[in-house]
Amino acid sequence: MKNVLLAVLAVIVFAGVRGSAQPARPAIAPDIAGEWRLDNNEQDTTAQPPLGDYLGIPFNDAGRMRSDTTAESIWGTPEYQCRPHSAPHQWRGLGGARILKEQDPLTRNVSVYHIQFMRSLDRPVFMDGRPHPPAYAPHTWTGFSTGEWVGNTLKITTTHLKDGYLKRGGPQTSDMLTMTEYLTRHDEILTIVTVTDDPIYLDEPYVESTTYTYDTTSTVATETCNASSFAENGGTDRHWVPHFLPGQNTALGEWLKTSEWIPVEPTRGGVKTIYPEYRATLNGGAVKVADLKVPSSKSANDVAKRLAESSPRDGEVHILPLQGNIYMAVANGTNLTVSIGADGILLVDTGDAKMSDKILASVGQLASAVLANPTANQCFGANCPGKWGWSSPYIGAVISAPAPARPLRYIINTSAAPERVGGNERIATTGFFPRGSQFGGAVENVGPRASVIAHEEVLNRMSAPAGKASPMPTASWPTDTYFDEFHKLPEYVNGEAVIVYHAPNATTDGDSFVFFRHSEVIAAGNLFSTVSYPVIEVDKGGTIDGVIGGLNKILDIAVAEYRAQGGTWIVPGRGRLSDTADVAAYRNMVTMIRDRVKDLKRKGMTLAQVKAAKPTMDFDGRYGSTTGAWTTDMFVEAVYSSIQEKK
Amino acid sequence: MRTFLLVIGVALIASTAAYAHHSYAATYDVTKEVKLEGKLVQFVMRNPHSFVHMEAPDEHGEMKRWAVEWGGTTQLGAQGVKRESLKVGDEITVTARPSRVPGEYRALMLSLRRPLDGFTWGTRSGEAVD
Repeated sequence: MKNVLLAVLAVIVFAGVRGSAQPARPAIAPDIAGEWRLDNNEQDTTAQPPLGDYLGIPFNDAGRMRSDTTAESIWGTPEYQCRPHSAPHQWRGLGGARILKEQDPLTRNVSVYHIQFMRSLDRPVFMDGRPHPPAYAPHTWTGFSTGEWVGNTLKITTTHLKDGYLKRGGPQTSDMLTMTEYLTRHDEILTIVTVTDDPIYLDEPYVESTTYTYDTTSTVATETCNASSFAENGGTDRHWVPHFLPGQNTALGEWLKTSEWIPVEPTRGGVKTIYPEYRATLNGGAVKVADLKVPSSKSANDVAKRLAESSPRDGEVHILPLQGNIYMAVANGTNLTVSIGADGILLVDTGDAKMSDKILASVGQLASAVLANPTANQCFGANCPGKWGWSSPYIGAVISAPAPARPLRYIINTSAAPERVGGNERIATTGFFPRGSQFGGAVENVGPRASVIAHEEVLNRMSAPAGKASPMPTASWPTDTYFDEFHKLPEYVNGEAVIVYHAPNATTDGDSFVFFRHSEVIAAGNLFSTVSYPVIEVDKGGTIDGVIGGLNKILDIAVAEYRAQGGTWIVPGRGRLSDTADVAAYRNMVTMIRDRVKDLKRKGMTLAQVKAAKPTMDFDGRYGSTTGAWTTDMFVEAVYSSIQEKK
Repeated sequence: MRTFLLVIGVALIASTAAYAHHSYAATYDVTKEVKLEGKLVQFVMRNPHSFVHMEAPDEHGEMKRWAVEWGGTTQLGAQGVKRESLKVGDEITVTARPSRVPGEYRALMLSLRRPLDGFTWGTRSGEAVD
């Protein structure tokens, strides 16, 4: 009955929010700051549902499959050991909640609420009206939250969340979820209604409520996490990805063995099973589930739009500052990585050829802003030896004639794909890399151009032996290639080591990723995308195992800053800026699919039969496509044909 | 109303307390038990959970490195287990719940015994991983 009441309450809250009768903000907003104790009087606040219990969850088939095949042992992988609770579950995690507030010193309005739990990161809720970040900004465990008062209820809208779970031990969420929370204080009681909108795995938003009581004696402890890099899953394979093949998770129905009175179908979730109308289908009822109509609500979350915005093909260049010397440039949907500093500019990949002029303009503008930013004079006369007088750089700023930024020195191509090398010819010729016989001067036949570094298979793909037609013009070819496991640039670039790692037989036979060792940034190239399955070109040496190997190598190098997020930033070939947990999620996904296809292939299935078995079904809404240059069918075919069986 | 009775029923069934960040019941097969006899190769006393790593044969007799999950530092400390209690090279016998995932060599500690001096854990009241 409590659930009924909570559901009614949720409806009332919704009704109140959607209506516009109430003022946007009460004259005196309720104070929600303080220490709050979780009332353990609701389902699964102190325990998790048994495996396979999806009662009340409006799962679609993809959500069900993803949850059935994801093992709880995933927590044992090095990248997830310090993962905090997922946002949809956080209010129900144990340990109470602490809500702090920051006030604007002038207006004394609350500018930020901070919500803290035992197993969480500090979660700011911005009340100052700031916008949500662009879709190509990173996702975090707590997401990006903004709040507004709707009557006496604080409405919090959260985007940019990582993937996770609705409840411990099973029901999964994608990273496309958004969360809306309604916090209402009634004297000493705080009611939190959470609406999780994940159209990848849910047919309608999932609603639940949780109750807290104000308690000045409550203390939110900090659960330290000093997990190390060993895999907790035993064995010696740190890249082990635990999961169940479809249909092989025998634990799902265990709990029903002692509860035979519970019909199986509603325990599998589904939007029809959570409405009272469903009762008409039980016990041989006259209504068939297929014919049942329920008043389900639709998702307000347009995944296709959000994915498109995370990799905008708008003909423009968008710059996102990362850390140290490094910037991410989203050039018409292709991500480039830029190092800017005293030594000049280093560019990882050059984008589509048609974007070259805009890339040059944006990077040049950025370099001027970073390196020749006008500042007021801080240095005077004899106190400023070597800099005073008319040769001082400050004079250049005062008269608006700053020295130009240093030129482009290096280009690194992460593969021979057109969006990686397309701008080589145009962009390289604007750079300068000293080489040749004149001790620093450029050699005429090479020209005053940047050094273009790539794995030698990239050059092989772009060039041809003498007498044969070359697929790409000579001026676009890499000038400096490597063949080994890695290639260190011979000297620091902008104050740091830059190392190019080879990922053998990944999307092609010439893939690299680039590690900026001091700035802690990795440019992943086509090895990693947050908007599609990996584009594996089997005819150019690409393999699924090579992709997984490359992702694992990135994970070996990258380090999370705290609680399995942040730290080393990873720039994907396409899509949003990512960290170790995002790469791990992608690695887990491709590993699960590889293992499923391998299993079906071992059973003697043809490619057509494997496709019909839909081994990617639970990830298709997130990464798949039925149209365009890289469809799900093409991906499955690439996996199927490139799988190597150990002999 | 039947639908809501189902929900309440599930809530009752799911009342097994578990306070870990991950779910023990979902990670380990709580209906099975394995006995591992071998040499301790690493003892990591830490939060959120400690781990005993040992080399012991699997069901096929092949030597594997097992990761046996144990309590956090607060729980073990309160039960007299210190970082120095176990040494690398100790011959130990462990009973544990095996992982639910085929091919994994992780397990949840039920009991640990060191025959050399009779050190034991898991036999006294409260000595269960929480």
